[in-house]
Amino acid sequence: MSAVLKPRSRVVVCDANEAAAWGVALSRVDMVAVYPITPQSSLVEFLAKFIVDGTLSAELVDVEGEHSVMSVLQGAALAGARTYTATSGPGLAFMFEPYLRAPGLRLPLVMSIVTRDTLTPQCVWGGHQDAMSVREVGWIQIYCESAQEVLDTVIMAYRIAEHPEVMLPVNVCHDGNYLSFAVSRVELPAQDAVDAFLGDKDVNWHAALDPDRPMAVDPLTGGSGGAGPRTFTRYRQGHCNGMQRALEVISEVHEDWEKHVGRRFAPLVEAYRMDGAEHALVTIGSMTGAAKDAIDEARARGEKVGLVKVKTYRPFPGATVIGALDGVKAIGVVDRSVSFGWNCGPVYQDVMTSLALARSAVPALSFIGGLAGADLTIGHFHRAIGEVAAVARGKAEPGRTLWLNEAD
Amino acid sequence: MQTRYLIAGSSHAALSALHAIRMADADGGVTLVTRDARLPYSPTVLPYVVSGRSDPGRVFLRDEEYFRAHKVDYLPGVALAALRPQDQTAVLADGRTVCYEKLLLATGATPVIPTVEGLSGVPYHVLRTLDDAVGLHQAMSGVREALVLGGGLIGMHAAENLARTGAKVTVIEAEAHVLSAYFDADASGIIEAAFSANGVDLHLASRAVSASRDERGRIRLTLGNGHSPAGDLLLVATGVAPAIGYVNGCGIQCDQGILVDERMRTSADDVWAAGDVAQARDFFGNARVLNGILPDAVEQGRIAGMQMAGDQAAKDYAGGVPLNTYSFFGKQALSVGTDGRGFADAEVHKSFDPQTGRYLKIVMREDRLLGIFSIDRWIDAGVMWELILRRTDLGPVKAQFLADPQRAARVLMSKTWR
Amino acid sequence: MGAYSTISFDAPKCDGCNDCMLACAQAKSGTDEIARSRIEVLKSNGSFELAMCRQCGDPRCVQNCPAAALEKNDATGVIDWDETKCVDCLLCTVGCTYAGIAYDRAAGHVTKCDLCDGDPACVKACKPGALRYVTTARIYNEVGQLEDLFAPGLSGCQGCNTELLMRHTLRRVGPDTVLATPPGCVPGMGSVGYNGQTGTKVPVFHPLLTNTASMLAGVRRFYKRKGRDVTAMALAGDGGTADVGFQSLSGAAERGEEILYITVDNEGYMNTGMQRSGCTPYGAWTSTTPVGERGQGKTQDAKNMPLVMMMHNCAYVATASTGFMEDLYEKLDRAIAASKRGFAYLHVYSPCTTGWRFPSQQNIEVARKAVETNFVVLWEFDPKNGVRLTRPVDHPLPLAEYVTMMGKFRHLSGEQLEHIQASVDKHAAFISRLAGERDAQMIRHLAANRTAA
Repeated sequence: MSAVLKPRSRVVVCDANEAAAWGVALSRVDMVAVYPITPQSSLVEFLAKFIVDGTLSAELVDVEGEHSVMSVLQGAALAGARTYTATSGPGLAFMFEPYLRAPGLRLPLVMSIVTRDTLTPQCVWGGHQDAMSVREVGWIQIYCESAQEVLDTVIMAYRIAEHPEVMLPVNVCHDGNYLSFAVSRVELPAQDAVDAFLGDKDVNWHAALDPDRPMAVDPLTGGSGGAGPRTFTRYRQGHCNGMQRALEVISEVHEDWEKHVGRRFAPLVEAYRMDGAEHALVTIGSMTGAAKDAIDEARARGEKVGLVKVKTYRPFPGATVIGALDGVKAIGVVDRSVSFGWNCGPVYQDVMTSLALARSAVPALSFIGGLAGADLTIGHFHRAIGEVAAVARGKAEPGRTLWLNEAD
Repeated sequence: MQTRYLIAGSSHAALSALHAIRMADADGGVTLVTRDARLPYSPTVLPYVVSGRSDPGRVFLRDEEYFRAHKVDYLPGVALAALRPQDQTAVLADGRTVCYEKLLLATGATPVIPTVEGLSGVPYHVLRTLDDAVGLHQAMSGVREALVLGGGLIGMHAAENLARTGAKVTVIEAEAHVLSAYFDADASGIIEAAFSANGVDLHLASRAVSASRDERGRIRLTLGNGHSPAGDLLLVATGVAPAIGYVNGCGIQCDQGILVDERMRTSADDVWAAGDVAQARDFFGNARVLNGILPDAVEQGRIAGMQMAGDQAAKDYAGGVPLNTYSFFGKQALSVGTDGRGFADAEVHKSFDPQTGRYLKIVMREDRLLGIFSIDRWIDAGVMWELILRRTDLGPVKAQFLADPQRAARVLMSKTWR
Repeated sequence: MGAYSTISFDAPKCDGCNDCMLACAQAKSGTDEIARSRIEVLKSNGSFELAMCRQCGDPRCVQNCPAAALEKNDATGVIDWDETKCVDCLLCTVGCTYAGIAYDRAAGHVTKCDLCDGDPACVKACKPGALRYVTTARIYNEVGQLEDLFAPGLSGCQGCNTELLMRHTLRRVGPDTVLATPPGCVPGMGSVGYNGQTGTKVPVFHPLLTNTASMLAGVRRFYKRKGRDVTAMALAGDGGTADVGFQSLSGAAERGEEILYITVDNEGYMNTGMQRSGCTPYGAWTSTTPVGERGQGKTQDAKNMPLVMMMHNCAYVATASTGFMEDLYEKLDRAIAASKRGFAYLHVYSPCTTGWRFPSQQNIEVARKAVETNFVVLWEFDPKNGVRLTRPVDHPLPLAEYVTMMGKFRHLSGEQLEHIQASVDKHAAFISRLAGERDAQMIRHLAANRTAA
């Protein structure tokens, strides 16, 4: 394997789809399986080009659908490969059957979700509903704010996934449209820095298809007697333990990344201007940029408001979120998707659960915006800040769900 | 010495048992002891060594490599001397003892020398070992007149061989016909006629009373019928008896031979017997008989071997069926089964063509085959034997069978057990 | 001791012409006297019977020989007769219950079949094909020593054809294999094991019913990238192949993924209670095409998967049957070789005693009858040579002889039987035309070569 990336870091201007592709190339993956879908398509086009022009030495498997994308990569991972793919919305839905299986097999896959709202209503635009729909199937989910963070996080995702005490697949999520197509300055780290950071991929010996060490991968288990129920339960417990351990590993990996590359991102949650904040917004993904601008403007007005960005969403860093929100009198959680069963946003739901576990009764509001490509502007966040401030002052009822784009 | 299987003897019964043991037990220790110092051979081949047709160096049924490959401790030239079945111990002629888990007695037979006055004072030959055969072959050259005492297979083969060298041969047979153990009077009559036509002098229903040297140094026999033929060479071939001196006093039940049941077991635990030493059930009656023929020795050895090795496929011995094949002066005589003696209701179908000398006799009872005998008319003896053992109902094809037994039997074979 | 080639006699095909005997007499005695033939065909009440040496494995003639003139030849399996040792005692004939060794008066000694050094004259002379020289024993000799790579004690139904097929194929394919067994009878009988145990001695996994070909593609591609020659093999049911797994199969075949894909076609979802699949034939009872007042089994013909796969232009496609193991093994060998350069697809018809409702000991007979009635046509394809019929049936038996063997067709009306017969005839004709097209292709190819030369 010989990637031809420059040994030294350099700067490019690109969108997050290309940034993700650069992250994949720097990670020296063995196999990429692709099937195009909006808004992911340019990402796999970049990968195909990298492979064909020799930038990345990897197997390119351009299959007939996302179901096979995930299946090919599982086969390769069972043989010991480091793999990558990306998908969006309906592609994720079609992939669901093998997607569901990867974490149970404890395969360290890395897959980008270039987020897209789910059908129906028919739409090809960004929104977190696809990724949020699979938040409870056992994958690690990390949401990025910028193209640079996408590049860095794709690389870090391999360290996290392949950590022997984690061994779980990772979704690196970036917003369709807003990140996938918007260009910005991105610094490519030096290949040798990435090599030193990642190290060589070992075979996943817990589940490996190697004629030199034959084993049965995924024999039947479960049932009501014998070793069945015990075996299945232990697999599940181990999976949950791996998820919890991942919270620590994600932080360690981000620290190590800073040591190797000199750039730091908040691993689990980022507290933005939370010093002395009396109320706060909670955001996820690319909306955070506009939200931070709104916070800056509000602070300039003298309003004691801050922001907490959730980066690692699964496992949910509940204690870290609550710690970052310590002292506020009201919270507004802005989601880019919907939890149909609770008539609110899913991040809101997680924050509320964390508050309850911390025996905290801070009042909160759920905001839902940015669905199907709708723009979340500074104005939308000012509105949200205003609503939260009103709750903080006791002038508005908490527990409501407010739709930010319904009048746009 | 200790061994799992001890086999005494090295001819057909012993070798067949060894083969059967190794089919079921590839590794169990086998020791084979035999009084003959030569590699295994068949007594049946000896007349052909005498005649010079068989090279005595090429008659061996097994070689050393066979025993090595089959992990057999092969001890030639060592006879069995005594048995202590209660200790599962055998004593060898050289004084060694062998402790066995399973023992097969297949030590064959030795010639019976009749009581003839003066016989011990004259030189004579017997034919039971390869050394006997080589000696007789050498002695034959230059013989002008020969005496053969006994008209059984050995005697008749030797008589033919001697006659072919140009010698004047005299055969003395106590029974009314030669080969009476296998052939009926008609068939024997045809055989006798062939010998007479080739210049062999037959004295039937005659016994030798005394033997002496005459004035010219020839051996002269005085017969009960008053004749006194003389010759340069005397072969005594009046029959054989089981070679079982080692069982004396050991408690194993014997009659003419060692008594065995339908699994070839003797009266002693873990001891089997097969071949010429075994007195086993008769297919046609309840008596236990000595049936000293080669195919039966193979069958008995196989059954004993399978039983010894615990082979699940082992079946009971069906009983001895007399049978034999005999070629004389270019003709073939075949006999399978009984000629019907002892069965009042046996039906006999006989045909003889004096022109061609072809003879056929079919003996049936209740539409089952009891026996079939032929001279110069081919029948498949093995197929006929199987028809007898299976007691196949020939009723539906009786006419065809009587008209053309070979063809009818082949069709039955193909339909029934192909 | 190995296994040996032998002459088989298919009595119903014999017309009593005696050409075999004439050929034998000419070959072995140099005369036209059929009485001197070493093979005898006997006519009896309209049927034909056979007498000849069976070259027994444990021959009694050999043991009966006092002169060491007969010997079973370990290399050829023939019981050799040594003229220089024979003493004409005829005791060998007493030992033979098959009339396989007999006295030839004109020759003056016994004679017996010696298989003409592996090229029997009688077989070549048999125009109706009643005599065949069966060389299936080579399978045993070639693979008999290979390890059975499934554990003993798999829990298939009694007489399971699938288990037979599994053990035969994997043994041949060998240990450098990654095996995929999607849900169905193959893993159901324990090949992937339960609760941490395994039933297979090669790496085995339980893909989804839907993604067998894709997962294997990933395995094979990665090993190839690493320079390791690992066979990626699937043993999949017809449902996982033709129905829900079809997309990934089709995609992998189109991409030319280097996979050995074996379909075990028992014409339905037999492991889960015998439901209909796309491969279930017309008229067949299944638990989802039941028989009652308003239904008489499946109302559509089976999807013809092997033809569908042929149109993917795979490196190799073949149909096979456990009723014809030599044919199956030859195809397996070719499929293994093809799987190193592209997609190899082997479609094996696998009668199911439980689901089709016939006695378990009838399995091979059902497989055989399927071919003899043309219900199953045995053929193979590769892109260079096109389609070839590997066991053409010139005089197919009436389909009734096949369908009456099993319960799943018991209810068939005359009309339904006619429908199936018509489909069978049409299919056989279609394949024959394809095979004919191959000949035409070859002719063109040769002509082109000649022109070039």
